[in-house]
Amino acid sequence: MRLLDAELVETREILPAQWLQRYRAPWLAAGARAGQFVHVRTPDYSGLVLRRPISINTIDRAAGEITLHFRIAGKGTELLASARPGDSVPMLGPLGRPFEVDPRTHHVLLIAGGVGIAGVRSLADESLEAGRQVTLLFGSASAAEVYPSSLLPDEVEYVVATEDGSLGQPGRVTELVPAYEAWADQAFACGPRPMLAALAHIASGRLERMGVARLGRKRGGGRPIPLGSAQARRRSWLQVSMEQHMGCAVGACLGCVVWGVEGPLRVCREGPVFAAEEIAWEEPA
Amino acid sequence: MKRRRSVVTTGRTARDAYSGPPRLGLRAPRTRPSPALEAARTESPAAPVAAARAAAPGEPGVDPSSVDLSVDLAPRRPGALVLQNPVLVASGTFGYGIEYGEVVDVERLGAICCKGTTLKPRAGNEPPRVTETPGGMLNSIGLQNPGVDAVIERYAPLWATWRVPVIVNVAGESIDDYVSVVRRLEGVPGITGIELNISCPNVGKGGLQFAVDRDAAASVTAAVRRATELPLIVKLSPNVTDIRPIARAIEDAGADAISAINTLSGMAIERRTGKPLLGNVYGGLSGPAVRPVGLRIVYEVAQVVDIPIVAIGGIASLDDALDYLAAGAVAVQVGTAIFADPEVPLRIADGLRRYCAERGLASHLPLVGTALPARPNRPSAKGVEYRP
Repeated sequence: MRLLDAELVETREILPAQWLQRYRAPWLAAGARAGQFVHVRTPDYSGLVLRRPISINTIDRAAGEITLHFRIAGKGTELLASARPGDSVPMLGPLGRPFEVDPRTHHVLLIAGGVGIAGVRSLADESLEAGRQVTLLFGSASAAEVYPSSLLPDEVEYVVATEDGSLGQPGRVTELVPAYEAWADQAFACGPRPMLAALAHIASGRLERMGVARLGRKRGGGRPIPLGSAQARRRSWLQVSMEQHMGCAVGACLGCVVWGVEGPLRVCREGPVFAAEEIAWEEPA
Repeated sequence: MKRRRSVVTTGRTARDAYSGPPRLGLRAPRTRPSPALEAARTESPAAPVAAARAAAPGEPGVDPSSVDLSVDLAPRRPGALVLQNPVLVASGTFGYGIEYGEVVDVERLGAICCKGTTLKPRAGNEPPRVTETPGGMLNSIGLQNPGVDAVIERYAPLWATWRVPVIVNVAGESIDDYVSVVRRLEGVPGITGIELNISCPNVGKGGLQFAVDRDAAASVTAAVRRATELPLIVKLSPNVTDIRPIARAIEDAGADAISAINTLSGMAIERRTGKPLLGNVYGGLSGPAVRPVGLRIVYEVAQVVDIPIVAIGGIASLDDALDYLAAGAVAVQVGTAIFADPEVPLRIADGLRRYCAERGLASHLPLVGTALPARPNRPSAKGVEYRP
């Protein structure tokens, strides 16, 4: 974790009110892993007292650059979108815990809802680099907000669902998941909380549905793996990247809490990536 | 009038602030400041050299490293709580001092006030817990903490190795709670002082109820005072009609210092749903938005008590800290500003050192209380009768 200025290299509006910005930040590119985020201070600071947490969209280690993809949701992101190439933007990062991929995993399923694509995008690169196969399921309200396939690596199988049926499969992205749950060794999701809750519901009944016994040691054998540890997350079929209103982003203020099954979890420190079993989900609608 | 030594607040100890002779001050600058010093204060910081010349004609600025910024927050207990500089980090914004360790040189801070600590572990309030508001933020953490025993076990051994003093912020639901927590903290290596949080607006029981009532504030302070020899700072709430009798009662009950202010009670609406945004509905407002309120309260408290005052409330720059010093505080706590820039406290300390050096001051204490009137000023709460 370091606190430095990143220089904006390129900025463009890839979708309505959604911006993709490329920054020169060698210290972030060198150390960051898929799933981590940066805490960004907006260039014009007047009246704003908090930084903005933004997922690291892609990491280019060779060039020492990262990209951020965000939606304009308020004053802070609006100011960030108005930054011009050459501007320096103070960033604190990399923060949070990354996605944990099991070394035995060959088939990686990524599930993204809307701008949630930014949370799982870098895992597509990381998985392809490691020789895994990647399928990305993407859901949005309409064709206007569908992530352009030109921004994805060619090797990714890209499946789109839109709620109004204007592109791809009509319906929600969660309805696509049952067709892939048998294929996927592990799934990684980022999007609105109702979507993640629905996915967690699917994940919890997955083994029974497929008639597969739980792999690994026999019940009661060996040392139990503590919930929330990297090892437990690596064994989990579904990992989710969550968001919450955030204050400090280093774990000091306890503002960005979500309820886990064992008590409050800080999204900035224990997250933003959690195994689905760690979170106390509400019943899916 | 002779001051009673008793810790129990009675009618006579909490006398009217603006009648009778002025009280004897432990701190020197209770008089009107010299015109030269005043001129130096009003000068814009953009022209510091010119201001220094105006302030001290013929006297060259001193070397910044020779400026002594140390401040004693517990003058009644010599040496118990002497800080290397008057810039602290406020409770709840700096965790337990380790979270920001990778980006901030913690050892250079004046002191660290840790997250509010209770007897039993607390899970805190329903999320969302924070949101940004114009010029500030609302929080309703609800005193999430692992409990005093876990704090002593996990963090105190590390604190004992630090040069920077750690002040434990103590919260509770009853006087017994406060006393039990403080008894456990007594004598633990690494714990230098207590900040009594009687003003948390975000918990149901306890918290604020002690800060809004003079007698309750005095009883809890007195009970804790009896339970510990550690330096005791009491944190005041701005959510009261008249702060002066409460501050006076706390001083009489044996507090070593007063810190003010805690957050102002507020709320926010989620526009999309039309429902309250915070899980707890109400939250505490902090940040630059509350700075004028904090200034007013420090100014009022400084006129009625003799113990040191630690100012809190929207401090984000050297100018803000200087304003609070002028209003009568001897030290400041930086809170919300840390979230935007974790280096703010150290920058304020360094800036204050340079500011003093440029004006030929050997310490920042001559800057304290320059705004205070010669005679107690009229209260801000007009028409409020406050009879002892």
